Amino acid sequence: MSAPLLETIHLSHLPPSMPVHVALYRDVQNAPYLRQQLMSANAEFEYAFIDASTVISRTHLLSAVFRAVNDYMNGRLKSRNVHSEMVFSLSPATNIAESFRKFGITDSTKDLLVVKLSVTPEITHDSVAAHLGQNVEGTPVPFDDETLSKISDIAKIKKAYKLGALNTTPPNQANGTQDNGMRRLELSVLGAIALRGAT
Amino acid sequence: MISIGLESSANKLGVGIMVHPDDGKPPQVLANVRHTYVTPPGEGFLPKDTARHHRAWVVKLVKKALREAQVSPKDVDCICFTKGPGMGAPLQSAAIAARMLSLLWGKELVGVNHCVGHIEMGRLITGAQNPVVLYVSGGNTQVIAYSSQRYRIFGETLDIAVGNCLDRFARTLRISNDPAPGYNIEQLAKKGRKLVDLPYTVKGMDISMSGILAAIDGLAVQYGLDGDWNDDEDVANNASTSDDLENAKPTRADLCFSLQETVYSMLVEITERAMAHVGSKDVLIVGGVGCNERLQEMMGIMARDRGGTIHATDERFCIDNGIMIAQAGLLAYKSGSTTALKDSTCTQRFRTDDVFVKWRD
Amino acid sequence: MQLITQGAEAHLYKTTYLSPSTPAALKIRPTKPYRHPILDRRLTRARVLQEARCLVRLVREGVNVPAVLAVDWDINNTNNNHSGAGGDVGEGVRGNGAWILMEWIEGCVVRVVIQRWERYIKSRSAAVKLQDNEIEEEEKKVKGLLRRVGAAVGALHKAGVVHGDLTTSNLILRGAEEPAAEGDGEGVSPDMQGEVVLIDFGLASQSIQDEDRAVDLYVLERAFGSTHPRTEPLFGEVLEGYRASYRGSGSVLKRLEDVRMRGRKRSMIG
Repeated sequence: MSAPLLETIHLSHLPPSMPVHVALYRDVQNAPYLRQQLMSANAEFEYAFIDASTVISRTHLLSAVFRAVNDYMNGRLKSRNVHSEMVFSLSPATNIAESFRKFGITDSTKDLLVVKLSVTPEITHDSVAAHLGQNVEGTPVPFDDETLSKISDIAKIKKAYKLGALNTTPPNQANGTQDNGMRRLELSVLGAIALRGAT
Repeated sequence: MISIGLESSANKLGVGIMVHPDDGKPPQVLANVRHTYVTPPGEGFLPKDTARHHRAWVVKLVKKALREAQVSPKDVDCICFTKGPGMGAPLQSAAIAARMLSLLWGKELVGVNHCVGHIEMGRLITGAQNPVVLYVSGGNTQVIAYSSQRYRIFGETLDIAVGNCLDRFARTLRISNDPAPGYNIEQLAKKGRKLVDLPYTVKGMDISMSGILAAIDGLAVQYGLDGDWNDDEDVANNASTSDDLENAKPTRADLCFSLQETVYSMLVEITERAMAHVGSKDVLIVGGVGCNERLQEMMGIMARDRGGTIHATDERFCIDNGIMIAQAGLLAYKSGSTTALKDSTCTQRFRTDDVFVKWRD
Repeated sequence: MQLITQGAEAHLYKTTYLSPSTPAALKIRPTKPYRHPILDRRLTRARVLQEARCLVRLVREGVNVPAVLAVDWDINNTNNNHSGAGGDVGEGVRGNGAWILMEWIEGCVVRVVIQRWERYIKSRSAAVKLQDNEIEEEEKKVKGLLRRVGAAVGALHKAGVVHGDLTTSNLILRGAEEPAAEGDGEGVSPDMQGEVVLIDFGLASQSIQDEDRAVDLYVLERAFGSTHPRTEPLFGEVLEGYRASYRGSGSVLKRLEDVRMRGRKRSMIG
């Protein structure tokens, strides 16, 4: 197993003592094993395991993380812990099981995003890197927009966010280049994440 | 200079006498007498009966005011009366009296806008220089600020006035009209604890009240609180006793409490918006509803948070009275405005911003 | 965080989102201590959500507005004791307000752009006798901006939202340079290129009624007249831009005539 390209990020407005660690893998071989650890609530494996094909960009993932951590700090978790909440926070809907089916790791997941929050001081970049290095069988790749753009399944994402009507590729229209279309999709997704559960 | 003011736009007949000393000393109230037409619980005042009451009392009140002020008709410089807005027949009863006095004593008439009367009285009593004014009474609900010689209306009710809403709900609950339905609602509300959900309708700086009235009337009917009071249900004990407020059945006190909390929040909100808009820190509340202590308290918290002050008056001045007309009329008179006999009509509709405020810069 | 404006309802700050290099606008609606805590919570929540919903919808429809990045409609509600029994209506029920974090729009408010242009024309015509073609060029530029303003409002209405408080302060010319200090950039005709972005949806609501749309335009017209008296004669360009922007604009413009006749204020009954 290879050392992960684990990135440690300090998100604006979150306490400096609570950095977020993110790793992206391609060609993951042991998704069923990882999922099993999650299912059996193995405390060692308290991570957000996310199917990376459902994520458009860094901002997309980090927005869900931000929402989950904010809800965590305000004592408003809807799911088991802040890591399951990150998966749930990707979802525009309030059904937790469904959010895991859509955005969480499945047995067939090949591209995997792993997120861990330093909820205690013992959880550090090194401890997370070491644990992931031992347990994830896959190719570590950089967690950046360029890599994600090769992974994300736009049709699936649009369906998950009910944005099927959104035109992401209107060619040669004023204000409608492909970049603009993707930006609009991303911003629409952020809005859906922010508003989940609003009644 | 001395003015006498006659006010009769609703169910209060008021006669007041003001003096503006020639030596530049502050104006003084020489007399402020009033008689209110009170109807039985459950009934509002009808224009015809109210006018009859005013006609029956106006001579007595004028005599009483002159006696209290220790002035004789020859000392009076002008006779001021409410030109509008208000109820037609009651307005006419004081206007006729004013015309008669004018002819009898040979003094000039000054027709006064009722709302401007409230504002000028409030400014005089509180010393507020240039506040945003919330004018709340049985017939009016306006947020006003002064700008280039007009009292401009920034926000107002789109349907019924706040006082009217309270009065009508008092009728639904068969609350006494003595001394005033709003006063009795306020006392009952002090015992309320449970807040029921009511529509909250603010549109920019305007508000709407009719939906709230319909909703709270509906709740009163739903909980059997409309109509006469039961023997075991007296005012003193009409409070929620349950610990489980959320599931408790609301009492009359709770409904009064909820109505006040909701409606006054709306008033404070539009007032704050106007203050932010014109950049003013001070607020003056005038009109009959302005006596309400809860409204004053809420407005005070808002003003304090904005680093400003609230100016309010007690029932002698905020409830319709004659001196507000005498004061505003005298200001107009001193700036050269009088009303010819042929123009001394009254009008039910008369907007605050129609008055050219000659006496301010 | 840098305080940008402080209105009656909300405070607006410039801050960042996720990373220090991504600027964002944070609009905080603080709790109002004068209000009953239950009512306060209900209103604060309803309003922040109303604003966020309108914006999210508009972003989806491709209208130029700031995107919603995050919302919290009930800050710090850590005491989860909904026990009811014995729970008196105290401060425990009061929320701490709500906030909405939005995309930061870099640019200059249209009010400032037009005011700078008005000053430029005034000082220029005082200095030299303006040639017809120069006047024409300048007017063409501002007319183009006004048409884009109209088109932006049209796009908003087409998407089923009315703004509720349209003024030239609530329109941003994206990318235009903000004058760093009073008097900066004087003597130069301001740049008017760029997209027009609508901001401040605190009073917005979803509506497709001609009346609501016409009132939106009327409010803008009134604000324009009082803020830009010199440019007021060109306001027709806004309406032309609006007319061309979507099907259905015609009946709104017709309704606008009624709204103008009526004025906002009715005569009142005492």
